[in-house]
Amino acid sequence: MRRIVAPSLLPQWFRLIALWLFIVALQGCAAVKAPQEDSWLAPDHMEKEIERNRFPVAKGDDVIGRLAVVRLEKGDTLPDIARHFGLGLNAVSAANPGVDVWAPEAGVRTMLPLSFILPNAPRKGIVVNLATMRLFQYRGDGTSPVVVTYPVGVGTRERPTPQGPMRVERKAARPTWHVPASIAADHRKKGDILPAAVPPGPQNPLGEYALYLSKSGYLIHGTNKPASIGLKATNGCMRLYPENIKTLFSDTPVSTPVVIVNQPYLLGQRNGVLYLEAHTPQEDSGAAELQKIYEKLKTIEKKSARPLDWEKIKKVQAEARGIPVPIFEMSPGSEEGIPKLVEVEHPAKLYGKPEPPELNMAAWYVLAADVPDEIDARRMAAIINHQGPPIPAQVIPKSNSYRVIAGPFNTAGEAREATRRLKLDLDMDGIVIEPVRKM
Amino acid sequence: MKKSILLVAMMFFPAITLMSCATTGDLEKMQAQQKLIDAKADQALRDAQAAKAAADAAKLNADAAAARADAATKEAEAREKIADEKAKKADAVFQRSMRK
Repeated sequence: MRRIVAPSLLPQWFRLIALWLFIVALQGCAAVKAPQEDSWLAPDHMEKEIERNRFPVAKGDDVIGRLAVVRLEKGDTLPDIARHFGLGLNAVSAANPGVDVWAPEAGVRTMLPLSFILPNAPRKGIVVNLATMRLFQYRGDGTSPVVVTYPVGVGTRERPTPQGPMRVERKAARPTWHVPASIAADHRKKGDILPAAVPPGPQNPLGEYALYLSKSGYLIHGTNKPASIGLKATNGCMRLYPENIKTLFSDTPVSTPVVIVNQPYLLGQRNGVLYLEAHTPQEDSGAAELQKIYEKLKTIEKKSARPLDWEKIKKVQAEARGIPVPIFEMSPGSEEGIPKLVEVEHPAKLYGKPEPPELNMAAWYVLAADVPDEIDARRMAAIINHQGPPIPAQVIPKSNSYRVIAGPFNTAGEAREATRRLKLDLDMDGIVIEPVRKM
Repeated sequence: MKKSILLVAMMFFPAITLMSCATTGDLEKMQAQQKLIDAKADQALRDAQAAKAAADAAKLNADAAAARADAATKEAEAREKIADEKAKKADAVFQRSMRK
């Protein structure tokens, strides 16, 4: 009997073991494959600095720059990280979903989306992509073209930035802001009476430099609210960080052509790899723009006679992280040319980061809030710190709450003015605190 | 013939007597076993009742623990939601403050 049973059972056991091994092996493959899909997003090495604004453009390439990460430190905010690395708040927020803008956790690696697909527009003069809130200035001669790029703040939904071709009509350093009637009316409704003109200085929202465009009433200018770069916060103008407008102003001659486009989905190639960059579309522009990109992708698929990974494409589009993602090798083996993610050292000081001043017993202060939650308090203090012009603020812990204190102010008048701004801009009811010691 | 019948009857008598004796012993034995089994059954019933009571109590405890866990999860979700809403509200206020 044994002789009869054993040979028939043995292969069955072998078959079972073989099947089990096969399944385990498959699982192993899946486990290895999953990280491989995003392996290009694993930091490759550490660098002290990374290029932020100026990039060479290789012939035939549409993708510039490199993606990087930086480890957050205590007290960092995303607007501080954005400004230091020449990015807009929109870009840093989109690339780091789930990270608290104002009170992020220290030690977290934050993506710096310093790689961009150039907009589909003529590569000359200035091109602004409203969807990505980024300005591109084409420079250099035909043999070694260079693109300089800066983040911008653009118009709101109610007062959008106009699109189309225009040019720089004139330039002005230390411009005077002639308050448009619409803005004066908005402020009047809040009980804030604006003057007819605001001279150069910290109160001037145009900042230190302005390029007046041929489209009447629209400018590319600086700002006294640097934290607004990467937001839809203007009345149709485009605003840049103070340090960026200074360079752009000196590099841009009058009559420079300016093209403003709205391209939330960008396709481009570098070193034989096709990339897709997706941003959250501005109002009403998403479906039409997506259709255009899908048609282009279908053409590429047809020409190459190889299938595209449509699931990946849909994922990139749905996530809208604003980073160029490799989606297709135009020629086999070209994935070698995909640049690796770089980890950048956290600088000793982030450029433009507001530092809370020391407490001064002889100064005036404003109690802006008294809240039970520390994160809320930190968030409020950071928002106050990032106003334009800045209002210094800090959190003072108490036994059962956290106080947000704005100041120090030299005079009662300064403290009252800060209270007025807190109410007007942030709807906070501040209480003026007299000095502990008279000077 | 009579003799034969008598002989057969005499032969059957002791056998029948012996058989009835065996049946009585068996009956006593069986009754004793029944008692034992009965006692075992009573014990098993009590054990089963005790186990059921314990299981019911455990289920009640588990249900209570699950309800507490659900409540804690919901509370955590609510806290997270509130925190998210606070962050969104703060962002919205900030974005408005960034206008000219």
